[in-house]
Amino acid sequence: MTAGPAAASGSSGPAAAPEPTRPVPAPDERSAPYWAAAARHVLTVARCARCSTYVVPPDHTCPHCGSTDPGFAFEPVSGRGTVRSWTVVRQSFLPGFRGEVPFLLVDVELAEQPELRVIGRLLDGPDTTLRIGAPVAVAFEDVADGVSVPAFALAEPSATGPGEVRS
Amino acid sequence: MSARPGSKGQVAIVGYAHSDVTRHAGRPLGALAVDTARAAIADAGLTAGQVDGFVTSALFPTAGAHAAEDGVSLVSADWLAQRLGGSPRYVAGFQGIGQIPGSVALAVNAVASGAADYVVMHRALHNPKGSYHANPMRTAGGAQQWTVPQGFFGPLSMIALPYNEYLQRYGASRETTAAVVAEARKNGARIPWSYWHDRPLTTEEYLAAPLLSDPICRYDCDIPVDGVAAFVFTSAERARDLPHRPVYVAGQASSAPPRRRLPLHWPLDDIMAGGTALAKRLWEQSGVSPADVDLPQVYDGFSPFVYFWLEVLGLCPVGEAHRFVLDGGIDSDRPGALPALSGGGALGNGRMHGIPQMLECYLQLAGRAGERQRERATVGVACASSPHFGGAVVYSTAPR
Repeated sequence: MTAGPAAASGSSGPAAAPEPTRPVPAPDERSAPYWAAAARHVLTVARCARCSTYVVPPDHTCPHCGSTDPGFAFEPVSGRGTVRSWTVVRQSFLPGFRGEVPFLLVDVELAEQPELRVIGRLLDGPDTTLRIGAPVAVAFEDVADGVSVPAFALAEPSATGPGEVRS
Repeated sequence: MSARPGSKGQVAIVGYAHSDVTRHAGRPLGALAVDTARAAIADAGLTAGQVDGFVTSALFPTAGAHAAEDGVSLVSADWLAQRLGGSPRYVAGFQGIGQIPGSVALAVNAVASGAADYVVMHRALHNPKGSYHANPMRTAGGAQQWTVPQGFFGPLSMIALPYNEYLQRYGASRETTAAVVAEARKNGARIPWSYWHDRPLTTEEYLAAPLLSDPICRYDCDIPVDGVAAFVFTSAERARDLPHRPVYVAGQASSAPPRRRLPLHWPLDDIMAGGTALAKRLWEQSGVSPADVDLPQVYDGFSPFVYFWLEVLGLCPVGEAHRFVLDGGIDSDRPGALPALSGGGALGNGRMHGIPQMLECYLQLAGRAGERQRERATVGVACASSPHFGGAVVYSTAPR
């Protein structure tokens, strides 16, 4: 359903001011591996090298073990999760998203760890019927050259739901 | 007197002033703040020379790209103190969690510790030209790189997620929230300085408004305004010599830092866990129980906060606030109900943060609410922000 700004700009009419583009991530030293993996359509989550807890978002300390040298490494995850909440964005404060509304955002609890929650778009379309606990799987939006943003799509219920997976 | 060290019941509010609440004041916010502070000092029966403490929370809570300029888009305590004259000896800004309760605590502690004798606490809120939250950023670094490229940005989606969790979990509906907003606007319409003075809202108007970030519509959000409020604090002992009936600070509690999450990610469970812990500390610290509170003033910068606060404070069972509201439980005109939005709140006044809640507690408990004066108002609770990212202050007519 989604077209990146590269595709959208190709269809803009003549003389129109260029549509603002979607904000793209500005990777830093710590996050660069995350965005590099995303560009390959691999979802990763930072994991503490001391206590192995997955952490969103990574910071200077581990929220679980308190280490000030957590050595976070981005490790691939299943990309599976369940919907904890959602909203349909109909008005965006980001001009680069004004051409994208309405779109669905989902609050997803990833399968790897209880309360490991991330927020992304659901690419099934804004009219998708959702329920709390609906299974989703990661999907990616290619928003610019070499830049892909993790999102989600509805998935079949998996044999091992997130409730059973404990790391 | 409690054995607990601290200021319980030793510090009181002795005067106030409030500017008109407008979309754009047509004059600098700083000038409005100076006028309002002077009026509050006069209201307390004092002169500027006697005021020796100034506190505020100066936060300009925009997600947009607006410049934060002292005296224009915010007013710090130092900015105000410099312009009021006198001999300030304690000037402080609050930067932690829970803006209004946090700055009330600064004022109370300044008086209790002897750092100052008469403290002006003010709050100045500004509505910049253009969209309040719009942000033309092209790249997202730092913490925002985890959310902005996905389109998760700004407070509407922030509150929409836990609000939807609430609706789904408890089978609630926007029809009930319409009653929350109508109650706030009914009360705000009765307040002369409110932006919404004489402008109540019907549930039909609420339900006809387009959704912005489901299930949030514009009427679920307080409207950005220019406005200033100021209160004067002093010791219970000094308060006896001043013209107005003192309203005592009986206790205060602020939210602990919530679980680390993505920026603006406020899951319902975080809100309720943080709020429940806050309420427990509030009752312990103030010596008040929910049953003692005849003037709860819940925070409503976004309408779902009303449900969350009613539940964490124990004023109704968890998951039932929506029914409680629908059954008239917070109808300020219904005998026996809890007038939880009698001051109009943020939805009924404008984006004055927790000021409407604090002001209603003060006016009612001081017996200064005029036509709106309630027969029974002895213990008030003024809430601010989200239960997990805010705070609450207990006020009483008697030193407790």
